[in-house]
Amino acid sequence: MLSDEIPESSHHDVAAYALGVLDPEDIQGFELHLVSCERCRIELNEFGELPGLLNEVKSASQRVRP
Amino acid sequence: MWLVRRQLDTRFERLDPDDDPDRDDRLIRELYQEFGGPLLRQVRQSTGNDLQWAEDVVQETLLRAWRNAAKLTWERGLLWAWLLTVSRRIVIDGRRRRGVRPREVEPPEADTVAVPDATDKTLAAIVVADALRGLSPDHREVIEQTYLRDRTVSEAAEILGIPPGTVKSRLYYALRALRGVLKERGVAS
Ligand SMILES: [Zn+2]
Repeated sequence: MLSDEIPESSHHDVAAYALGVLDPEDIQGFELHLVSCERCRIELNEFGELPGLLNEVKSASQRVRP
Repeated sequence: MWLVRRQLDTRFERLDPDDDPDRDDRLIRELYQEFGGPLLRQVRQSTGNDLQWAEDVVQETLLRAWRNAAKLTWERGLLWAWLLTVSRRIVIDGRRRRGVRPREVEPPEADTVAVPDATDKTLAAIVVADALRGLSPDHREVIEQTYLRDRTVSEAAEILGIPPGTVKSRLYYALRALRGVLKERGVAS
């Protein structure tokens, strides 16, 4: 399988991508990877609700501050 | 499966571009109908509830989606992730341009992160804050230094003094751990 030949770390960008913190110059490369990598597409969907959940924490801590 | 590309292509077939100067408007309007509301809700949280700014960001994001329409062959969930990614970049870039120091640039320190105000507690906020505290220090730190402080991977890498690749891998395992905990507690699906 092709997926066995590429390093594990090449799939790790999906987390930064899901959170929108991947550096701009890496975004296109990862989006190309995404097209051919089912594993990352599945994980991107799985991570999909985390930004919203983390926003709960973020806005809660913001409201505490004046 | 809902493919944006297919939908856009269908429209191309139906409409001769020369005959229909309103075509672009219509496609953008369609993106608005589908994603405008949810996107605005997400973006407002990162603009500190600045509605005007949030609306500008949503508009710019959907315009970029339209410009990239030929490449956006993903299913709906992936397009949504793409829109969130792009909108977050626009907010962050906008802050830099304005020289605005956002309030969340200085969130509480690690051990006090996101302890919600008693009057503002929501169940999700409490559960998520608790889940974050339960992560390993490395994992918690990398989520804080990126997403919670609106920093990119390379910015966080510089601050943490570790390579960007390490930040990305830590973030990956951190999100898996976080999602596992939130799933266990019934907050994530
Ligand atoms: Zn992958």
